[in-house]
Amino acid sequence: MAASAPSRSIGRPTHQAPGLAVLWALAIAGFVATGVTVALALRSDHVTEPGLQAALLAWVSLPYVLGGLIAWRRRPDSRFGPLMVAAGFAMFVSSLQWASAALPYTVGLAFDLVPPALFIHVFLAFPSGRLERPVERAIVAAAYSAGFGVQLLKMALGGVGGDNLITIASEPSAALTIQKFQLITLSVLALAAVALLVARRRAGGRPLRRSVALLVDSFALALVMIAVLLLAGAFELVGAFETIRRVTFGVVGIAPVAFLIGLLDAKLARSSVGDLVVELDADPNPPELRDALARALGDPSLTLVYWLPEFDSWADLEGRPVALPEQDGARATTLIDRDGQHLAALLHNPSLRDEPELLDAVTAAAAIALENGRLHVELRARVEELRGSRQRVIEAGQHERRRLERNLHDGAQQRLIALSLELGRLEEQLGADPVARSSLDKARSEIALSLEELRDVARGIHPAVVSGHGLAVGLESLAARAPVPVRLDVGLDGRVDERVEVAAYYVVCESLANVGKHAQARSASVAVSRANGELVVEVVDDGVGGADSERGTGLRGLADRVEALGGRLRVWTPRGEGTRVRADIPCA
Amino acid sequence: MRVAIAEDSVLLREGLARLLGDAGCEVVAQCETGDDLIRKVNSHDPDVAIVDIRLPPTHNDEGLRAALEIREHHPSVGVLVLSQYVELGLAMRLLADSADGAGYLLKDRISDVGEFVGAVERVAAGGSAIDPIIVSTLLSRKRSDDPLAQLTPREREVLELMATGSSNQGIADALVITLRAVEKYVSSIFGKLGLPSTGTESRRVLAVLLYLRS
Repeated sequence: MAASAPSRSIGRPTHQAPGLAVLWALAIAGFVATGVTVALALRSDHVTEPGLQAALLAWVSLPYVLGGLIAWRRRPDSRFGPLMVAAGFAMFVSSLQWASAALPYTVGLAFDLVPPALFIHVFLAFPSGRLERPVERAIVAAAYSAGFGVQLLKMALGGVGGDNLITIASEPSAALTIQKFQLITLSVLALAAVALLVARRRAGGRPLRRSVALLVDSFALALVMIAVLLLAGAFELVGAFETIRRVTFGVVGIAPVAFLIGLLDAKLARSSVGDLVVELDADPNPPELRDALARALGDPSLTLVYWLPEFDSWADLEGRPVALPEQDGARATTLIDRDGQHLAALLHNPSLRDEPELLDAVTAAAAIALENGRLHVELRARVEELRGSRQRVIEAGQHERRRLERNLHDGAQQRLIALSLELGRLEEQLGADPVARSSLDKARSEIALSLEELRDVARGIHPAVVSGHGLAVGLESLAARAPVPVRLDVGLDGRVDERVEVAAYYVVCESLANVGKHAQARSASVAVSRANGELVVEVVDDGVGGADSERGTGLRGLADRVEALGGRLRVWTPRGEGTRVRADIPCA
Repeated sequence: MRVAIAEDSVLLREGLARLLGDAGCEVVAQCETGDDLIRKVNSHDPDVAIVDIRLPPTHNDEGLRAALEIREHHPSVGVLVLSQYVELGLAMRLLADSADGAGYLLKDRISDVGEFVGAVERVAAGGSAIDPIIVSTLLSRKRSDDPLAQLTPREREVLELMATGSSNQGIADALVITLRAVEKYVSSIFGKLGLPSTGTESRRVLAVLLYLRS
């Protein structure tokens, strides 16, 4: 069961964050690369408006590097950070095409269209840094092929200027056709990625926080602009191209900024963890803990379940076994592990997965409370189990009694009646022989006595009249046979569950017997009613009260019977003020 | 007298049929279930139907339901319910608002052939037959303020017989007294219990039972 639970696990992080030195080195490399780019642009012999170009390039590369480093540090488990860093550096590499020397120019040119592929990759891989679905992997693979592979082919054919080092032929028209195909392909892939993002957002539910929504929107907008830019290139819209390029760069650079805002906002959201810690100080019970976690995570739909190793099952807060839902778009599952063992699981809005730090922080803060909560739930599960087994024992007993009564009725009793019938006929045929007649009479009265005794035995085994005709009919005879006058008030419409009826019958039967034996009462009353899904049976006498525990054995058995059905039996017996027995038995 | 019998025990059903046959009754239908009995009552129109209270398929209340249905739809057909236990609550359900042509007896009563056939004939003729156990349960019922205490032992005996559905003649025969004496006892009993004297013998059965039950 645990193995099949599809989910993210929270426990010890599986990847260590890279050392600070490494991160600083990469950050410095980013700044150096920015410097180099600016220098290249200013010195280039083929870049118009070099200052603006350098600034645009820095805008879409340095924030990716820095944002990526922060993400990497914060979420070492996610590949999203390294991917952003790679995207930033790829942008730098592509700027080498501004160099005048052949080698860097060639390398820069080869990387010219890698950034669009990388951006598609980065945006689709949010937030885990991994491409989880085959269609995403296919789009990204196709984008790399088009952005890099086809680029090399184009360069080999001498497209985009003949000065690169890998030109082996000069086929400008073929190269141009290839370029058109390349740009259109890339732009289609970018639009496909936008469609995926939109679909994912629809399936995943509304993001819990606005900053996450903003981030995904900025991804989609950047991809749309990239697609527009590529199409403008493909169809050589010379006039508009430069403007579109600037706007695109501007938009693409927004994504890492939105990401940083999201991190900041997540940090603010994590201040709710502080409130959580305060709430946990009050040692909440499982439902309170769930509420506190739901508030801290900002997900009111949160469900908390516990893993009970002894039952080898997940259980809800009442200790009832539950199965983890299949992983679908509607709910996400986060397993909380402790020492390599499952402890609990959160079933939550899938968009919470975009905020792993918050989940980590909340579950870490709640660790002790979760352990305590599990003990609560385990106890409840045991109580639940015991109740079930008691109910089964009593039901089995009742079933057996019913069977015995039935056997008596259809067997011995029926045969004795048939026998006495034959004796009756025999008597009719007999002459006036007084000796024979008196023997026959004796035999008949023996049979009559046996039948009477059998009837009492059968009634003691199982009140067939209750199963056959309901509680009201059964109680009528009980009240008539009672040792004191009984006021009977049965407010019941129709039948209820037979187990409930039989239990109620025994409550009245035993209570009235006690009235006769102990109470010295002058009268008693029996009231049966149905309210709020419960059958309420009350037997009250006006006797001496003060029932001692000795007469409790019968009551104990009654209590077992009533409690096994989820009900309650209570006895009030103040000395000198009579006795009141009341059973409340659920009857849906 | 034409009789229909519903009883799922073959032994008893056939014994009952023989017994009634010996007594000169015509058993026009024998069946095992309540539904079957209702069909046969529809087609044979007997004078009286004898029904076991516990019949297949569930052995719960099929017999009683069949009896109540016949009483509702065939008022001319007497219904005698037999059972291995007698319950006051069931008697009251069966009689509901009239004891005409209704009987409820312990199965044991079959052994006294004369009494039993007499009860069948009484029910067939629109009278009633209530098991003495029911009456004695009611009579022994504890009451805080008990007008029954005012009855003489003889009056008590008459009341018991009256409540089981005996006619005045039946009571006279049973107690070996004259019909006139019975009539005197009856009016004295009604007077002491404060009951209005009623017409038919089966009507007074219900009146007495209801009085004793309250």
